[in-house]
Amino acid sequence: MPVMETKNFGQISFEPDSELEFPSGLPGFDSRRRFVAVRFAESDPLVYLQSLEDPELCFITMPILAVDPLYKLKVSGEDLDQLGLPPARQPSIGEDVLCLTVLSVRETGPTANLLAPIVVNLRNRRAVQAVAPESEYSHQFALMPQEASVCS
Amino acid sequence: MLVMSRRQGETILIGDDIEIVIAHIGRSRVKVGIRAPRQMPVVAREMKLVREENLAAAGAAASDLSRLVARLHG
Repeated sequence: MPVMETKNFGQISFEPDSELEFPSGLPGFDSRRRFVAVRFAESDPLVYLQSLEDPELCFITMPILAVDPLYKLKVSGEDLDQLGLPPARQPSIGEDVLCLTVLSVRETGPTANLLAPIVVNLRNRRAVQAVAPESEYSHQFALMPQEASVCS
Repeated sequence: MLVMSRRQGETILIGDDIEIVIAHIGRSRVKVGIRAPRQMPVVAREMKLVREENLAAAGAAASDLSRLVARLHG
């Protein structure tokens, strides 16, 4: 099994067929094409998107349906083409694609980028960060908005 | 903000170097052509938001990760 260096988790091994290919990288990281989705039982439901080309680059993500069970995925024709999916219909989460939302940790609490989910074609492991142009979803959706008011 | 009315095929000039053409007007969207110097970045606003969000997300340290996990399990 191939092994990769990571900043956060040290050296970890991964299944070769778990490698994801982003043909155009991600916005802000256009040259990073190869990632591996890493899961640990103790941090479920988080999915770490670890770059194979940069040990320091790791996104924290989670399945988008765990954040919003009614999330409506809308992938542009251009992105469907990159994924190798037919342009005629929208892919179904879980059946055709894996759909992850990128998390940020802010002082006010964690947020999820619902505007631009990571979409992975389950059949060929090709992936894009699909920016939905006419989306009403927030790029900073508060994961635990009630937490700010909790007294300790 | 300056607001101008334009028909399909008409053009707006910004300075000497930038030309914006209303290429097509559909029912709910317009196609806009932009001619600008090569060194001038032209991106849709949401692309800029996503880029900034990715840069912020990638900056999360391992300690943030464990805090986040603790919260999710809390």
